[in-house]
Amino acid sequence: MELTRRNLLKGAAALGAAGAVPATLARPALAQITQKKELVSAQAGDISKFDPHFSTSSNDIRVSFNIFDNLTSRHPDGKLYPGLATEWKLEGPTTWRFKLRPGVKFHNGDPFTSADAKWSLERTFDPAVKTMVATVFTTIDRIEAPDPMTLVIHTKKPDPLLPARLAFYGGQIVPKKYAEAAGNDGFNAKPVGTGPIRFVSWVKDDKAMLDANPDYWGGKIDVDRWIMRPIPETAPRVAAVLKGEVDIITQLPPDQGERVNANASTKVQGALYAGLYVLAVNSKRPPLDNPLVKQALSLAIDREAIVKELWRGRGIVPSGPIAKGDNHFDANLPPLAFNPKEARERLKKAGYKGEEIFIETTVAYVAQDKALAEAIAAMWKDVGVNAKVEVIEYSVRAQKNREKSFKGVFWSDPTSTLSDPDGMMWRLLGPGGPQDYWREAKFDELGNAARFSVDEKFRGEAYREMTKIFLDNLPWLPVIQPYEDYGVQKYVEFTPNPNQQFEVRKFNLKLRRA
Amino acid sequence: MRGLLPFLAHRLFRALIALWLVSTVVFVVMRLSGDPVPLLLPPDAPTSEIMRVRRDLGLDRSLPVQYGVFLGNILRGDFGRSIHFREPAFTVVRGYLGATLELGLTAFVLATLIALPIGLLSAMKRNSFLDHAAMGVALVGQSAPTFFLGILFILLLSLKADLFPTSGRGDWKNLVLPALTLGAFTMASIARLTRSAVLEVLGADYIRTARAKGVAEVVVVVKHTLKNAAIPIVTITGLQFGTLLGGAVVTETVFSWPGIGRLAVQSIYNRDYPVVQCTVFLAAVMFIAINFLIDLLYGFLDPRIRAH
Repeated sequence: MELTRRNLLKGAAALGAAGAVPATLARPALAQITQKKELVSAQAGDISKFDPHFSTSSNDIRVSFNIFDNLTSRHPDGKLYPGLATEWKLEGPTTWRFKLRPGVKFHNGDPFTSADAKWSLERTFDPAVKTMVATVFTTIDRIEAPDPMTLVIHTKKPDPLLPARLAFYGGQIVPKKYAEAAGNDGFNAKPVGTGPIRFVSWVKDDKAMLDANPDYWGGKIDVDRWIMRPIPETAPRVAAVLKGEVDIITQLPPDQGERVNANASTKVQGALYAGLYVLAVNSKRPPLDNPLVKQALSLAIDREAIVKELWRGRGIVPSGPIAKGDNHFDANLPPLAFNPKEARERLKKAGYKGEEIFIETTVAYVAQDKALAEAIAAMWKDVGVNAKVEVIEYSVRAQKNREKSFKGVFWSDPTSTLSDPDGMMWRLLGPGGPQDYWREAKFDELGNAARFSVDEKFRGEAYREMTKIFLDNLPWLPVIQPYEDYGVQKYVEFTPNPNQQFEVRKFNLKLRRA
Repeated sequence: MRGLLPFLAHRLFRALIALWLVSTVVFVVMRLSGDPVPLLLPPDAPTSEIMRVRRDLGLDRSLPVQYGVFLGNILRGDFGRSIHFREPAFTVVRGYLGATLELGLTAFVLATLIALPIGLLSAMKRNSFLDHAAMGVALVGQSAPTFFLGILFILLLSLKADLFPTSGRGDWKNLVLPALTLGAFTMASIARLTRSAVLEVLGADYIRTARAKGVAEVVVVVKHTLKNAAIPIVTITGLQFGTLLGGAVVTETVFSWPGIGRLAVQSIYNRDYPVVQCTVFLAAVMFIAINFLIDLLYGFLDPRIRAH
């Protein structure tokens, strides 16, 4: 055969076609059941810390929320359930009494008592320990352990959300005696909790090996062993689930969903993210200090098109700063409007003179951030905004975030840590918060009052009022509330959690065997 | 003949200078790339906390002082403590080194074993179909990006043909695709160079003489041709080792292989200066050591070099 350009091109085309055929493995009948007693899952990054008080990263909490228990537990249905506390009640405006679960043992055999709970919570904000969750329990004044099965928490002011705070990061209970003896680094190397899985080994960037805790108070999980692997690249991660090498993959991009669903043995499962993807605005920088400009920017974003094209329908258009699924989400509020004509008019009214407006985007800090930034910049240019996209690296973003030195708008994926606006908009946008670029006296007054009120009706009113102020001033430009999708073998029965927890407890994960 | 000892001393001196330059460049570049502290603390950490961490890490000192401490510690074999993992940087890197050596050496051996015979055959059967096909494949191997090749192998050989696992480290089957991916460029380079080196030798007078006096073809090829073509082949092989170390960064990421390439990239993102410095230093040591061995090998291959 002569080596000609034509022959070469033919070969290349054949290769390309082979790669493009959907990978349907013909094992439909077998796909529905398994004999496996081992669960293998893959996520996009490796675990960095096992000590639950030293990380809030999603790659870490998927595992740490299963090695450890909290006093309260947020299930994938979004509701609060008992955890290591069986019941709790408010005694007076600032005193919470928790009844603890008797007979629970840590993985090393030590009994769980109120002393562990008190020590764990105090450890989070102990300045000498320097945890990553030091700000979670700032409402706590002092903690008492009157007897081994009772814990009393006094808050500085009324804190209606304390049980919710205890369910998320910072609230994991660690064993006092063992952790004190092991020291912080020692404890991180060999973590011990009360949860349904216990730590066996970890080879960095290779796999973490975790065994079922046979004596778990909530019942032994459905498998004997769980292996968590990091597979950073999307294509190999998807290939691993299509081929059946792993049972569950996290961070499945929307454009891969069809492939996973088309494959005979796998399916897509998703949860609407408990949070939003927003362009946070440095409202101190002209012309973004002018609310009219921000309104115009918001009106110029065609969110329907973004959901349809970039997310293949796996997301919804937000209506304001409160995520769907949270307390006080107003279902009657219309989705944020797309109206380029009105956008142009507001720009004119604002006296906008073509000043540059920067989108400082990361790559894969939030899913598809760069593609989104480019799409939105094009939409803004369509209404006459001089939009510029600049790509920055994670660490640069972290630096700018700390220094509050962004040049315009930047990506943020505020997570609703408490299923309540207090844990999202107020945590981030409140005075002194990480995204404090804009202040309005009325907004602050309402946010503070709502934080410390135990009257849910009052709180609802306050958040409705705050939403109005938010929509006039737009310290965030909410873009999408996406689904977080997982690629799952069909024999796996599993409900994803909206807040990036990965629940393997018996009530939430089963492999179909019969 | 000059003594072996002065030669070794001279080479060693040059190797040390190279290592010093590499360390200095990494030190400077890492410090230019940004501050690790914002990545270590929650976004709302107070300034006092930032100052404390900077002091703990020794980052509050002036750059020349940091540089002096850094060089002094390296001389004692101390690369500092990893900012991210909170253990000695050398311990961290050592944990990843085995995986990279396993992958790198397999790729290297695979590449050499496949490329040498192919290059030789291509030269012997010049302009045949085999020659064209082999050199065509080599051209693709040399020009296809590692990333693309890796994903292509996963799609075709793992997902479609079901021959190998998609990713991860395990038994020999896990090794095949990453080693092929990593070795592709090296394989192609060695095959092409072997072909041209052998072709050049084949045209030499002494080959014609050997054939004319009736030496068996096998002896002509092995003794007269290969040995004379060996110097450029051995040289490129040594230099290719550097390509393998560089390629490991991408290959290890695509195949989630827990090696130092991936560690280096993540450590750069984490601004984990000690780990990056230790990784680059060890990679440089390996590269220099291999090429040092190859320098020695020259002497055995070519008596004329020994005489100088």
